Amino acid sequence: MSFWLAVLRQVARNLRQTWPSQFMTLLTVSLSVLIFAFFYLVYMNMLGVGDKLGDDLRLIVYLEEEPGPEMQEQLRRKILAFDEVEQIRFISKAEAYQRFADQLGNDRDVLDDMPRDFLPASIEVVPLKNLRSLSQVKLFSDYLARLPGTLKVQYGQDWIERFYYFTRLLSIVVLLSGGLLIMTTVFMVSYTIRLTILGRQAELELLRLVGATNNYIRTPFLIEGVLQGILGSTVGIISLYTLFHWIKLRFSGPGILTIFEFSFFQGPTVATIIFISVLLCTVGSYLSMQKFLRI
Amino acid sequence: MSESNGAMIEMIKVSKIYQPDIRALSDVSVSIAQGEMFFLIGMSGAGKTTFLKLLCNMETPTNGLIEIAGRDIQKLRGKTLARMRQKIGVAYQDFKLLTDRTVAENIAISMEVSYKKPQHIKKRVRDLLDRLALADKHDAITGELSRGEQQRVALARAVANSPTLILVDEPTGNLDATTTRRVMDLLTKCNHSGATVIIATHDDSIYRDTQHRIMELRSGKLHLIREGLPQ
Repeated sequence: MSFWLAVLRQVARNLRQTWPSQFMTLLTVSLSVLIFAFFYLVYMNMLGVGDKLGDDLRLIVYLEEEPGPEMQEQLRRKILAFDEVEQIRFISKAEAYQRFADQLGNDRDVLDDMPRDFLPASIEVVPLKNLRSLSQVKLFSDYLARLPGTLKVQYGQDWIERFYYFTRLLSIVVLLSGGLLIMTTVFMVSYTIRLTILGRQAELELLRLVGATNNYIRTPFLIEGVLQGILGSTVGIISLYTLFHWIKLRFSGPGILTIFEFSFFQGPTVATIIFISVLLCTVGSYLSMQKFLRI
Repeated sequence: MSESNGAMIEMIKVSKIYQPDIRALSDVSVSIAQGEMFFLIGMSGAGKTTFLKLLCNMETPTNGLIEIAGRDIQKLRGKTLARMRQKIGVAYQDFKLLTDRTVAENIAISMEVSYKKPQHIKKRVRDLLDRLALADKHDAITGELSRGEQQRVALARAVANSPTLILVDEPTGNLDATTTRRVMDLLTKCNHSGATVIIATHDDSIYRDTQHRIMELRSGKLHLIREGLPQ
């Protein structure tokens, strides 16, 4: 009989004898992975939404009066002095009026009595993709507001601020649930292995006396940890995948879910989550062995 | 396991003191040859079990040197110690059986740890059960057997892996005369196959007519009772 066959027989025998506690541990690992992966999935998708919003982000600088060519050049230089930007576009009062009229469509006749220069001239600034964090956009906005002749700067502050605070909150939840995953998994697996070791003291002592090597005694416990990690994380990920599709189907009508394209984890992310879970379970199992399985 | 100058076991001035101050063995020196059958007798509490435990490294001596096949067993660690133990079959006085396992599983365990083939294990288990009149107990749960039957299972496990050193602690304590003879026949057969056999007992029926060396432990000290006759 080879070493691995002997070890696998030991594992099978042990799983058969201690299946209730093994099952509870499996359930706990699955739940931990599910909770963490759920928040991580939401966070990843929110980052995607943030990127999409960022692509459309532009700052509108309303001006007191329409700048001449020379002033336009001065303002352009001042804007570029803060940072490189993707685009700077000057919009005259007439152009603003035309845009507004186009937006009104069939209702443009409401503008008939209005003077064609009642809308202020403005500068449309599209920041670079790296100017994404809230603090940077705010700094840039404050800088633009201090430019001479600026009435005010608009970029959907409230919405963007709320969105960024939400993603920041999510990142904290992801970190917390990640910590929870680590602690629960390591604790539960090490506790189960500990119970198994304590429940099998007589057998382990006998194995030592009849000449079992350390590897022969320890490897089955490590394999149990690895199995807990693989099965627990797989069940957790499959549950999340099912939940994700159910939510997509259930809320596929008009609403926020249809505005943005929500996606599930890519293969490498799934593999990483499973790998980390396996690693944690193995660590839990190893810690218990170090403490309770003295050979 | 290779021998050293023909001696399987060398014990030199070995003492064992249990806390707080119980002297189980006191300056015991003995040399046991490879292939020898050796009887260790003495009253209960004389130190027989301690003697055997020291030989299989279950206990460590307080003083002295113990060599098995030329190797100081106190210095063995890890795989080397495991391999040494695979070559030592021990039938413990308290049996050390896994009472929730079947008889066959209990006997097989000593062969599984040295990775014997499943077919070999099955055949060897059947053979030993036949020899010890336990053929019908193959799949019986060990905890449900009588003391006498458990004792034979423990003995079967001790000899199953064809060890070169067999240590047996009170092998006939719970057995009738016929079964005692069977047990002794098995041990004699192992001895004839080359194994060194050490039997600790206070049952004089099994050593009364023996040709082998007998030593007695009295208050932790070893006394020669009878020199073995040449084989």
